[in-house]
Formats: sequence, structure tokens, C-alpha cells
Amino acid sequence: MSKPRIGIFDFACCEGCQLQIVNLEEDLLGLLGLVEPVVWREAMAETSDAFDIAIVEGSVVREEDAARLREIREQARVLIALGACATLGGVNKIRNPMDHGEVTRAVYGTHADDPHLAAGPARSVAEVVKVDYRVEGCPIDGSELVRLVQDLLTGRTPRVPHHPVCVECKLRENVCRYELGEVCLGPLTRAGCGARCPSNGFWCFGCRGLVDDANIEAARTVMAQYGKSEADLEDLLRLFNQESEVGHGRHA
Amino acid sequence: MTLAAPEPLADVYLPRPARVEEVTPLTDAEIFFRLRAEEPGMVHGLPGQFLEVTVPGIGEAPISISSSVTRRGHGGDDWTWEMVVRRAGNVTAAMHRLAPGDRIGLRGPFGTHFPVDSRETRGRDLLLIAGGLGLVPLRSAIQYVLDRRRDYGRVTILVGTRSPADRLFIGELAEWAEAPGVRVLETVDTASPDWDGHVGVITTLLPRVEVDNARTTAILCGPPIMYKFVLLELHKLGLPDARIWMSLERHMKCAVGKCGHCQINGRYACQDGPVYRYLDIARTPEAIG
Amino acid sequence: MIKHISEPELRAWVDSLLEGPPVYAPQARQGRFAFDRLRRSADLRLDYDVTILPPKKYFLPQQETLVRFTREGGFESAVEAEPFVLFGIHPYDLVAINQLDAIFARAPGDAHYLTRRHAATLVVLDVETVSEHHFAGGLGQATVDGNRDFDAMLTRLPDGSYVAEARTEKGRTLMDGLADAPDAGPESLAAREEVWIRNRKALRKHRLTMAPERIPELLADAHDHPIWEEKGALCYSCGACTLVCPTCYCFDVRDEWNPGLADGERVRTWDGCMFTQFAAVAGGHNFRKSRAARYRHRYFRKGKYVWDMIGEIACVGCGRCIGACTANIANPVEVYNRLQEDTP
Repeated sequence: MSKPRIGIFDFACCEGCQLQIVNLEEDLLGLLGLVEPVVWREAMAETSDAFDIAIVEGSVVREEDAARLREIREQARVLIALGACATLGGVNKIRNPMDHGEVTRAVYGTHADDPHLAAGPARSVAEVVKVDYRVEGCPIDGSELVRLVQDLLTGRTPRVPHHPVCVECKLRENVCRYELGEVCLGPLTRAGCGARCPSNGFWCFGCRGLVDDANIEAARTVMAQYGKSEADLEDLLRLFNQESEVGHGRHA
Repeated sequence: MTLAAPEPLADVYLPRPARVEEVTPLTDAEIFFRLRAEEPGMVHGLPGQFLEVTVPGIGEAPISISSSVTRRGHGGDDWTWEMVVRRAGNVTAAMHRLAPGDRIGLRGPFGTHFPVDSRETRGRDLLLIAGGLGLVPLRSAIQYVLDRRRDYGRVTILVGTRSPADRLFIGELAEWAEAPGVRVLETVDTASPDWDGHVGVITTLLPRVEVDNARTTAILCGPPIMYKFVLLELHKLGLPDARIWMSLERHMKCAVGKCGHCQINGRYACQDGPVYRYLDIARTPEAIG
Repeated sequence: MIKHISEPELRAWVDSLLEGPPVYAPQARQGRFAFDRLRRSADLRLDYDVTILPPKKYFLPQQETLVRFTREGGFESAVEAEPFVLFGIHPYDLVAINQLDAIFARAPGDAHYLTRRHAATLVVLDVETVSEHHFAGGLGQATVDGNRDFDAMLTRLPDGSYVAEARTEKGRTLMDGLADAPDAGPESLAAREEVWIRNRKALRKHRLTMAPERIPELLADAHDHPIWEEKGALCYSCGACTLVCPTCYCFDVRDEWNPGLADGERVRTWDGCMFTQFAAVAGGHNFRKSRAARYRHRYFRKGKYVWDMIGEIACVGCGRCIGACTANIANPVEVYNRLQEDTP
């Protein structure tokens, strides 16, 4: 079997998820024994246009990006959305409900009207093209990408955790963030990160999107038990879980 | 209580190596396999029991044994097993990619079996009812019964399939019908132009068979929905719950009564089942459906 | 062998144990407590109320390798365990360990669990600080009563000294370092009795309104009780109640490849009946689709199914689930009391 060719592409994002791939080090070498990267701006000088698997990072904020993404989709047999910007629209979506002109002026001041800064609402990759697989997180956990590629190569349905972050948090024997007086999205967020934030002194920000059957109604009710309000919950959900037309975010 | 003294315990989770001997597609979705163990130490198992089949790196899945111990040398000895696998999850999909000579792992056999060798069936009339893939484990019981034909009374085999293209063991069905005192009735839910047999759900076959309710033991194997309707009909025929046996599908994972996945109320289907006497589960919520 | 020792003698003894096989003991963590590898006796917190996770993790680890495999179909068992000391187990947690012992020893026995279990020396510690949610007293599990399987037991007396008792050969070997300490006299033994009497009363932060033996009967008639729907509606399906439960032992098994896809390991991880996919089969059917059905299953499992299997209620009154449930729906006492109220 010839090695599948992989292309890695980025859209609006910090490219931190690609960095996580580079950071895999030894596991990356193991992975490179199985696949052949042909497009990877962050790590390669030479590129080619022929690839089987497209790994796409970032959200889509301009029409020309959407067009480029559609081209990538047409060429790829399998398309993987990499990281929260690609899977959910990420933090880029925070500005979607705001007045676009005001946001641009606040950020770019007198340059707000420069043509190269023109951008529309942020969209996740899945809101533009069909996504086959997702690696969630901000940033991703590189080992999850390794497992996904292993599963694709061995013909196994990639495993998506169907339980919330609380599970991994308990397994690591953390003290619950609610006990510490915080609002935490752990109970609503899809696991797979190993409860990274709660294990390092933060509440869960929900960067992996909502778990299947997330009980948001219960969360609203539960807030009062901890002296918090539904608005506190909404504030936290705004970061990564803006409404989304498709995919793992909240659906409109 | 006190723990037993430590001694080297066999690892019940360790698969034993086996090879794929035969791979024959039966339909678009189902493949027939014959598997052969590479080392001694296993037993074949009785009709209704299952093996845990490992495809390395993919995982393990419970697969019903379709061969009978009465056919030694033909899939029924302690070295070889026959089974039919429908592609449903990762392991069964990986099995569909196997070729003769490939190495897999086996654990088992596990679970309870159909009462083929007991007072429940010996000397009695048997009504064997298979729906869809249910014919696969039931084939083991049918082979067993036909190989010891004189031990039983009249044998009636009812087989229901979704469509003619989904029929399994077509040649064997004809052979079974030739055996003395054996009636085989088949039906399909939806006919195709070339089908001239009976059409309708499996319960529509029941009025066509004579059932002496005092002499009959029924063995059912099929989807939960089939059980619901067949049970209604069997009750109308006056068959008591104690004379009805059935196999229940569950998410059997460890197969040794530990992992909890197959639990139906207080029961572990992998150990107390998959074959149950209906009387014992009739009032168990969650059991059927 | 029953010794009476001072706190400094106890610390010195623990320090001497640290030169031997690993010792796992309760220590502080973020204002709570957890069992962890003990490096120095000063970190030992014998005054802990309850640990976040129960000590079952030393016999059934959160993740363990069952079998190593090669792509070509080679399989090798990964049963392995080195001797270790589990120090400072509260009586209710010991009961839970003994229940798991019975379940994992039931034929066919689980070599992975049992090998670790046999490699362990268990030191029980009577409760000194009652937690916010302890209710072991109402279940008869606040102290070690009846025939339980452990090796040594420690009790802190009101004057700050300890009674240390060896119950098995392993326990006596562990207490070799206390050979020169005085035997416990009638006074210290009487003081220990007092501690037990106090704990049986004190570990009742939630009051069960019935004898524990009544629970299986109550559940038998409660399959359609409205409480499952009421409480289940708030359930996150996060399984926190099952993960922190000392008697829960359901697990998942999956194959993990090593990076080059030439070989890998079959791994066992904790699983739980509160997760949405727990009772789903390969074809897609889910036998417990609703939150209420899963919530009910857990209480039946605790209060009835394990009882039917080994004759004990699989709830020991540690109260961990009550504290761990973010939605505050996991108090077993509340559930069983409500069933009692509604049952004529």
C-alpha cells in the first residue's frame, strides 16, 4: 500500500494546532512512517497539489478563503478539521453577533477600511464544506490526531468520546471547579483532552464543543445552586460555543 | 470472606491464536467463515454459545457459533468453528477484509446454550424459529438436532428473511427439509420477481404448522421485534413460557460477567445468557426491546 | 498482635516502611485528599475525611494493559504486579474492596485484578474526621464488622495515640518494626471500642430511614417510580457518581496501536452505566437511551443487582457521589428514603 499523501492547510487561526503536530516529535516520526506530507507550509519548503487527506486548520472569514477551501475539498478523499477554529469557528466567532464595523474600528483603528482587512462573519470549516473527521480542541492534542490517522489507516471508525470532560477530570482526581466557586463547562463539553485545563488550574472553556446530548437545560438550573446565573453560563459558552449552522457547536 | 490463596491464574482476556480457513460471501452483507485454532485447549461449544473474535488492533466482538459439535471434522470439533458475520461495527468490518490464512484471536466459547441435549427437548416436538441473522446460531442447533434425529419428535423450522437476496444457507435449508419428520417453512418480508415462495412476516407461517402445545418446545432466534410478535402467537397456540427459549443480543464485551455492558437488569447476558428460557425473563424490564 | 503506639512512633514506623515496597496513602490535594505514593511520613494525612477517588484504583487502575498484540496475531498476557502497601483505608472503602474481591474472583476470575490484589498489604484506618457526606453508619459500614479481608488496622485514640492490630501474616510482617512497642492493654482496647461506637453514630450525615436490607425490596417495586425521571432530567451523563464510587467496576476495553502500527496493546479503562453509549450495541440500538433509564439503572445496580449477586448492598456510605455530582442529584439516601416514603 502506498503511503497516503497528506496536505495541511491553514485559514484564520493562530496556527497553534499545526505547532502541536510539530511538537509530536517522536510520534511525528512514527506518523511520517505511515503517511507522506506533500503540502505543509509551516514545516515544508516544497509542496505539491496531489494529496489524499486534507487537514484543515482555522475558520473561514473571507469569500476567497471559502473558495480555496472548496477546492481543497474537491481534491481530498478525506478532510479533517483540525482544532477549534476549524471545528467550531473558534474564538473568531465571538465577533459574529457584534456590529462588524465597530469591531474592525476597535481593532484596526484608522486602518479599519484597508481592503486586505475586509472580512465577513467567521465560519467553521463544516459550515463551508463537508467535514469527514474532527480533531477538537484549542489547541488540539497531537496524540488525538495520531490516533485518528492510525484509525483511518487500519480501517477503524475513529473514536469520538461520547462523554463530557468531567470524566477525565475525575479520573485525574482533580477537585471540581464548581467546588472552587467557578463556572466550568466540563459537564457540557466533549472529552478527549484529558481535562487539561481543570488539571492546570483553570475551568473548562468548552473548546472541544458540546458533547452529544449536552444537558444545557440542566446547566441553567444548576447555576443557581452555586450562586451563579444563566448569564454566567452564557458568557462562558460565547467563547467557543457560538451558534453554528452545522457541526458540534450549538445549533441555531 | 477470604480471598483464595494466590496461584497462577489463567488470563481470561488473552485471545488464543487462530487462522482463517475459509471465507465465503453468502449475501452482499454476510460472510461465512471457518476458523481453525492454532493450539489445543479450546472446546467447540454448544448451539447458542459465542466466541469473542479479535482482529488485532481493531478490537474484539462477540460472534455466534454456527457449527455443531456433532459434526467433527466439519467445523464442529475443538479446533474449528463456522460463523457468519454481518458487517455492523469495526471488528465485523475488519473481519470482512480477512482472507484465508490471516491470523486472528479467539476467546470462549461463552454463554448459555439452547437446550438441545436436555429433557427440555429430548423426545419432544421442536419448533425452531429464525428471523434474519438469527438463523446463524440456530443453524448450530438445527445441525445438532438433525445429527441426533431420533432423540426428538417432529421438527418444524420456520425461517423469515427480509428479502430473497438476504437468504442464508439456501442449500442447507433444502437438505434439512429432506430429513425425516422435518418441515422447513420459509417466508420473506418483501418478495422479488423471481420469488415464488411465501411472503409475509414470520408470524404468518405459524397458522400453517401443526403445534401440539403439550409436546412442543420452541426455540427462537431473531431480532427483538420478532420476539414480540412471535410470543403473542405462541401464547395463542397455548405454549407455556417455560417451553420457549430465546437468544438475546446485548453489547457483550468482556464475556466473563465483569465489564457491565451486557447487563439486563441484574443479569449479565454474556454469562446468564445469551440464551434464556422465556419464563425467566418474561417479567424482566429491558429484556426484550 | 495488637500494639499501642504514640504518634511519633507511628511516623517512625511509616518512615521505615518507605524503605520497602511502595506505600500508597492519603495525602492532601487542593484542600481535599487523595491516595498517592507516599514519599515521606510527614505527608501522611491520617486525619483525612474522604479521598476524591476511592482506593479501588490500585486494583482496577483508571487505565491498564490487558494484552499485548502484534499485527500478525501474536498475543501476550500483561498480568503483572509488584508488592505494595495500601495504607489508611477507611472501613467503608475496605468493604468496597472486599466486594470487588468477590466480584473479580467469581468464576471466571480476573487475573489482572486478583494478581494486584494479592500483591497488596491492606492497612485499615478508623475514621478520625467525619466528612460532610459520610453515611456509612446507616449501612453498618462505619467500622470493620464481620468477616472482612485485610491485613492490619490502625485506630487513633482520643489521646492522640494509636492502636495497631495485625490480622494476617502479611500484617504481622508489616508490623515487624513495632515489635518493641508495648502490647495494647485493656484500657487502650476499651478506648478503641469507644471510637467504634462513636463512629457508628457519627458517620450518619444523611439519615437512611430504613434498614439497608430493605433497599433491594424497595427497588423491586420501584421500576416505574417518578423519581427516576425527576432526578434524571438534571443528569449531565458525566458519570462522576460512578467514577468516584468505590463499588463501581464497569470497564471498557479497546485496542491501541503503537505509532508504527506493527503492534499495540489492548487497554482496559473505567467505564460507567451513566454514559450515553454504555448500553449501545454495534448495530446502533441503545438499550438505555434516556437519562432516566440510565439513572435508574445505577440505583438498581447499587441497591439490588449486586445484592442478588453477592448478598451485599453495593453502597458503603462513603458519600463521594453526593459531593461529586455537579447537578446535586446523586444522593442515594435521598433516593432510597423517597422510595420508602412512597411505598405503602
